[in-house]
Amino acid sequence: MKTFDPIRLEVLKNAFDTIADEMALILMRAAYSPIVRDSMDFSTALCDAFGQTLAQGVTTPMHLGSFYDAMRHLLSHYEGNIFEGDVFIGNDPYAAAGQHLPDIYIIQPIFFDGRLVAWTTTLAHHADVGGIVPGSNALGATEIYQEGIRLPFLKLYERGARNASIWDILMLNVRVPSLVAGDLFAQMAACHAGQRSFVDLLERYGADEVLSYAEELHNYAERLTRAEIAQFPDGTFAFTDYLDGLGKNPVPIPITLAVSIRGDELEVDFTGTSAQVKGGVNTPLPFTKAAVFTALRSVMKSDIPNCRGFERAIRVQAPLGTVVNSVHPAPCGARGITGYRIIDAMLGALSIPLPDRVTADGMGGASVPAFGGWHDGKPFVFSETVMGTWGGAPTHDGQVGVPHMGANQANIPVEMIETNYPLRIVRYEIVPDSGGAGRYRGGNAFVREYEFLGDEAVLTLRSDKHDFPPYGLFGGKAGSGPVSVLRQKEGHEVTLPVLVTEPYVMKKGDVFRHRSPAGGGYGDALDRPEGMVLDDVLDGLISEAHAAEAFGVVIEAGHVNHAATAVRRDAMKCRSPACDS
Amino acid sequence: MTMKARLRVAADIGGTFTDIALIRWDETIATRKVPSTPDDYGRGVVSGIMELLQAEGLSVQDVGEVMHACTVATNVILEGKGARTALITTAGFRDVLEMRRIRVPRLYEPLYCKPPPLSPRRLRLEVGERVDFRGNVLVPLDEASVLRALDTLDRENVEAVAVCLLHSYANDFHERRIGEMIAARFPDMFVSLSVDVLPEMREYERTSTTVINSYVGPPVRGYLASLTAQLADAGLPSRFFMMHSAGGIVAATSVVARPAQIVECGPAAGVLGALRTMVEAGHLDVISFDMGGTTAKASLIEKGALVRTDDYEVGGGISISSKLAKGGGYALKLPVIDISEVGAGGGSIVWMDPAGGLKVGPHSAGASPGPACYGRGGTEPTVTDANVVLGFLNPKALAGGSVPIEAQRSVEALCRVVATPLGMDMDRAAHGVHQLVSTIMTRAVKSVTTFRGRDPREFAMIAFGGNGGIHAISLARALGIRTVYVPPGAGVFSALGLLYADIETSKSAAFLKRLDEDCTVALTGFYAMLLDRVRAELARPVGALMIERAADLRYVGQAFEITIPFSAEGALDDRARRGLRQRFESEYERIYGYRLAETAVEIVTLRLTARVPKGNRKLPGYVFPQSTPATTRDVYFGPEFGRVATMVVGREALTAKPGPGPMIIEEYEGTTIVPPDCHVRVDDHANIVITLP
Repeated sequence: MKTFDPIRLEVLKNAFDTIADEMALILMRAAYSPIVRDSMDFSTALCDAFGQTLAQGVTTPMHLGSFYDAMRHLLSHYEGNIFEGDVFIGNDPYAAAGQHLPDIYIIQPIFFDGRLVAWTTTLAHHADVGGIVPGSNALGATEIYQEGIRLPFLKLYERGARNASIWDILMLNVRVPSLVAGDLFAQMAACHAGQRSFVDLLERYGADEVLSYAEELHNYAERLTRAEIAQFPDGTFAFTDYLDGLGKNPVPIPITLAVSIRGDELEVDFTGTSAQVKGGVNTPLPFTKAAVFTALRSVMKSDIPNCRGFERAIRVQAPLGTVVNSVHPAPCGARGITGYRIIDAMLGALSIPLPDRVTADGMGGASVPAFGGWHDGKPFVFSETVMGTWGGAPTHDGQVGVPHMGANQANIPVEMIETNYPLRIVRYEIVPDSGGAGRYRGGNAFVREYEFLGDEAVLTLRSDKHDFPPYGLFGGKAGSGPVSVLRQKEGHEVTLPVLVTEPYVMKKGDVFRHRSPAGGGYGDALDRPEGMVLDDVLDGLISEAHAAEAFGVVIEAGHVNHAATAVRRDAMKCRSPACDS
Repeated sequence: MTMKARLRVAADIGGTFTDIALIRWDETIATRKVPSTPDDYGRGVVSGIMELLQAEGLSVQDVGEVMHACTVATNVILEGKGARTALITTAGFRDVLEMRRIRVPRLYEPLYCKPPPLSPRRLRLEVGERVDFRGNVLVPLDEASVLRALDTLDRENVEAVAVCLLHSYANDFHERRIGEMIAARFPDMFVSLSVDVLPEMREYERTSTTVINSYVGPPVRGYLASLTAQLADAGLPSRFFMMHSAGGIVAATSVVARPAQIVECGPAAGVLGALRTMVEAGHLDVISFDMGGTTAKASLIEKGALVRTDDYEVGGGISISSKLAKGGGYALKLPVIDISEVGAGGGSIVWMDPAGGLKVGPHSAGASPGPACYGRGGTEPTVTDANVVLGFLNPKALAGGSVPIEAQRSVEALCRVVATPLGMDMDRAAHGVHQLVSTIMTRAVKSVTTFRGRDPREFAMIAFGGNGGIHAISLARALGIRTVYVPPGAGVFSALGLLYADIETSKSAAFLKRLDEDCTVALTGFYAMLLDRVRAELARPVGALMIERAADLRYVGQAFEITIPFSAEGALDDRARRGLRQRFESEYERIYGYRLAETAVEIVTLRLTARVPKGNRKLPGYVFPQSTPATTRDVYFGPEFGRVATMVVGREALTAKPGPGPMIIEEYEGTTIVPPDCHVRVDDHANIVITLP
């Protein structure tokens, strides 16, 4: 058996990581659609000849480990029919082990001395792939055929020559062909850069040497992952979180899972989770696995390589036909929100054995309002990911102005929105008294308010956590749920459901206000030091009334009344269940 | 008395040392390193200058200009010791500063904590007003709300104020009016208006930059006033110049209005020194490599010019040029030299992860306790310890004997942490550490080269900083670079860089128009306005200035711009704009590998830089120290060479004719390693020049 030099292994691991990051940077800078360049909803990876991920760019955690399933699919169809200069394209969750239709894979083989040695792979969320709504995220879709164009893995380029038929069909089926084309070029530019750098590496160290170390990297990552798992307490830890449900009469969609830890093995079982639903929140299994990997990685302390070896120590069981392992023809355009909820449920389960490594629940992923219509004789579509608030942590308050852990996205500057779209942002600010009370307070909610300046538009919204607001941990209270109101010019106010399946009409002067969910608290609010409560009042993060009601701290004219606080806190303690004995 | 040209003296303050440099009458340089004086940095500067003048037999009357770079502004931010700063902003938007751009610098970290805003929420005050993106006033300024905000400033003992209103770049009237109202009531208050600091679109970046300016304003103002007074007391010129982060020099008096521009001035001075040295040596495409005790920095010089960026965060910790990992610091959108930094220096700690993976850094043993071999209580092995084991570093003492070395401690630490657990001999283990550091630094260099479509093999390298000469060759080898320079004074290189700087400033303005629109007249007007502003700042007539113009361009629909410089003369008419498009597209293709001929190109920002030309200043000469006798020691250069008896000499022993390695050049300021398969010579400017096979 070959012995591996740990130094060379580290050198090559760094080189692989650098290639994946270089690809990510190229893709981001060259991209067109706001969702790729600002929200960074894309991923890049370098895979070995067998399609196993060697390194993944530091972009979207919820894509972690998702390339392997797609690559296995591609290889099983094209074995023996892969040539230098080929570029593969695909997006279908069922025919290409994809994510959802807007996520298009661009994948390029790397040849060295005539031999297939590796792959550069990219995945980007495109602005539109057709279907019944602009942006192709229809919550109201009942089958995948309504969600847009479906692509199995196809050769977009064969031996360097573009397949014009595929290109033309694709461009005809999307609403914004220039954006889609621009982002596809960006993906190809990233693949090309990755290929060049990987070939450099092979020339320097020799192909056999690099490839043998690539295999050892998987073993190393697996060892590291197992060493982490071995330190977790053994046992089975169950948790259920919910999506509120679809439309005006939502039916809760439970995500039930059990994390079982035995020595250095870990299994996640989704038995008990809701059957797949007639709405775009179903997730194909590769995406469910990626969400599980993300949550697990976040409670591990080591810097584990983002490669296939990490996944080998983890088993995911999900019954077929559930929202976490959907089968054809379940729609899955808005499956992102289910991915967020899988992560939230995972962290809820992991809070039992690992209370010091997680926070209370946060807002549950971006709220996504989408406005589409006509303005000045031209069509426009504007949607953005609105984030974000976390729950209280073991050592500090919940953060505000942060993404969900599953997707490290940015907001869009107010000045850019107002310059480019018929919208005015009326306010964008933190909402006091909304975070769950606790020893460490949940992050407050924030509000974003949009005035429509055009003639007519339709509005949809993807949000959650109204009926099941962000949970607190260890005595901390839940955060408040979201509020979404459309105020029409005539003064009527309409409250929107969390997952809008039938779009609302907006007229000039109408204002849409979205208030996010707020984070849950961590620990007992009565243990929160008076000084921290006072600071919150002085900063306008909580009111004096809320300080007294939720924290038992009496504040008068900017000062703590210590005596009144002691009395109040004693009285509140005796009302809590712990005082019964 | 004959009129002698007066001397230029430079002082660069670092964390531990203050470096002083001057050019003597005979065009040679003299340098001095003195301890920094953190309680009052100006004291160290003045006493350092006086020491150097005395040592050189010069007097204060001989000094014409004082050039200065300092870390005062950076430290204020890193240590959270800035002014108590209020923000006045548009009603409904006081949390823009705190919400930021959402993205966090670390993935998979549920326990991550954001840096606290530099202006706390209780001091973020809202006023009634609203302007749209065209500059139309939708809601007039509610002066009563401003007066209420002013009452709060009073009550809360605020020391500095930032004013940033939505779309103020399109109409500055409300901001200016608020500025007047503050000045009327608090004449001594430090006030920054966003239209003066950064009149560009994107409210978070503009607000953050303006708040930083106010936050560092009073401490920088206090520091400069104190230094001015101490220079005057010592009889030195009290009018002095400071380097700004983009590599130019401005009068210290103009720094007071915009102190945010000096946040990254120290590293900038080093890169500027690299530029002058390498251009003189005939290299226009260069990678500068600066390695100290805790970090390594890389920057690019292309076609004889510095590469700048305004995509920058201060206080974000060490990141890969912070391009993918954003949000860890405070956005500062002013031009800085594009420097990428990684946590790899001489003090970086070597450790082992639970699966037997060998790691270096980013934790550093710093100066205290320092590497194990310093014998000051450090027990963990560091990069310097590996270099001692290999024989790269002197096993008895460093820095001309001033830092004693206990080589046995390096051996013990490295044996315990690396060699024994991995079952390797000491040489292989130490060499592995050395290699690993090169790999980490390769990332820093790649982020300024291959990540931007540049091939490092087409560049020469210049290495400086205390550890630059030790690691330069391994790094160059990993990148395919063939020529490496190690300049004289590599340990005080930022101070030398200051000596070479030109007086320079730059201004920018938002200007959103498509290149194919008719905007010739508007462009002319905007550039005239920018020219007025630089002229006012530099207090010189236009005829005395060298002007550079540039525009940030992008394809309509993209979010990242590329800065394209163009001629300083003439109107930007249709033809000129078509030329601009051509140049934009070539550069775009170079970076991304394709162009989009069908897509419109738009201008986003206009830029203008003005420089006061200094004439054809020559690079100063170098006086070699007295020669020291050559010695020999065994050095391990890797498995292909094994241990080799290696000559250890001073720089003066090198000749213009290339000699073969192995060789080690030991100087007070640092050590340079020449492996057996390389050649080394010294050039006319006393640079060590190493060629790789």
